[in-house]
Amino acid sequence: MSKLYKVKLRVNGRDYELEVPGCERLVYTLRYRLGFTGVKEGCGRGECGTCIVLVNNEPRHSCLTLTARLDGAEVVTIEGITPPGILHAVQVAFIETGGVQCGFCTPGMIMVAKALIDRYPDPSVDEIREWLTSVLCRCGSYSLFIMAVKKAVEYLKKGQVFFTEKEVREKLHLKVLG
Amino acid sequence: MGRFMFDLYRPTSLDDAVKFLASNYPDAVPIAGGTELLILIRDGKIKAPKYLVDLAPLKKQLSYVRVESGYVKIGALTTIWELSNTILHRDIRFAGFRDVWHKFGTIALRFSATIGGNIATATDFSDYIVLLLAYDASIKLTGTSGERVVPLEKLLVDRRRLDLKPGELIVEVLIPEPPVNASSAFEKFDRRRILIAGLANSASYLHLKGKKIIEARISLDVVREKRIPGRVKLLEDFLKGRELSEELVEKVTEELLPGIVEKYTDWWTTAEYRLEMSKVAVKRTLLTVGRRLGVI
Repeated sequence: MSKLYKVKLRVNGRDYELEVPGCERLVYTLRYRLGFTGVKEGCGRGECGTCIVLVNNEPRHSCLTLTARLDGAEVVTIEGITPPGILHAVQVAFIETGGVQCGFCTPGMIMVAKALIDRYPDPSVDEIREWLTSVLCRCGSYSLFIMAVKKAVEYLKKGQVFFTEKEVREKLHLKVLG
Repeated sequence: MGRFMFDLYRPTSLDDAVKFLASNYPDAVPIAGGTELLILIRDGKIKAPKYLVDLAPLKKQLSYVRVESGYVKIGALTTIWELSNTILHRDIRFAGFRDVWHKFGTIALRFSATIGGNIATATDFSDYIVLLLAYDASIKLTGTSGERVVPLEKLLVDRRRLDLKPGELIVEVLIPEPPVNASSAFEKFDRRRILIAGLANSASYLHLKGKKIIEARISLDVVREKRIPGRVKLLEDFLKGRELSEELVEKVTEELLPGIVEKYTDWWTTAEYRLEMSKVAVKRTLLTVGRRLGVI
């Protein structure tokens, strides 16, 4: 039996105290211990980028990160970029552009897009391209993702960061519930 | 033990890490960014060690870029992303660092990967080794018997093998500060633009006086036999003292390079193709440096 390590993690704004073996990867901890299944494991070797989460506000491949090395770190997954029931401008832009096809890479794409906008509030197309290459999309909606990031930047410039479900549904002419 | 099974050791200081590595040699392996090591273990290319020594606690101590007493000192745990916020990306004398940065993995990998880790990997596609060879860099190592500084060229023994004593860690990269009118360039070719190993890599460093070449250093991913980066010294000697021009670059790459460099054939591509691409890479880097220094 391998040794267990005590790790304090703050995931999506909530504190967790875990005991994990040294060889456990963050993607496993997030998906199977904590239930954040928005994190997807694709290749498991840092090429496809679907498992990207924000660790201390930096985009990191959770398949190449050992949980036991992250004592005291803050992790944000796709579930935690906004409070429940509210969508972030980046997410709304992705929905509006229709860049999501099968949707497997979308969590990774959105995390990278958010990390980009956090650092460069007004990125050039080249910068968007360079950042989004971190994630592979086998449906090939790259051009739509670039449009989505541009759209998100527009929202954020106008100060629109969060959207409620009602706003999103009205925007997309979906049936408004309740 | 299974394939992906190991324990982690979290050292309290550099001394502690070195002592643990030395006393558990070869069962303990240091882990910096983990973007290469974990894949190697996963793929079964190396046996999972008993312990991985987590270098993250040393991050504060070993992550910096300083210009001091004629040297540029880069801490081994400086991530590739951190390099982009330093003088290395703002000064024309280090222009090659920008080139490598844009060809290095993907953005997300650049947040994890460290420059020390890239050197420790010691493969033909360790881009920073190719560039640092062109800068004539030295590496500072710390072990149980103290510190020593070794030229990077001497440190590289073979593919994935460095001349390290048990327990020794790479702690710093030392680059002699380039004079004014010096610059560098890096080029890497593969089938895609990024996330590539590179069928041919090359870095060039030139110090010019007017058009005259005072110092030239050219490195390639593979020069001969061993699949590790190396310098092309015959070419450098030929260039020294001559005037940089497109004709000269054309001449050295077309006539001299094939005699010096010997590539290998594998399932990716043939030796002939690799050689052609190396010629183009050397040509482009030399001309880019010329352009950066405003003489071409």
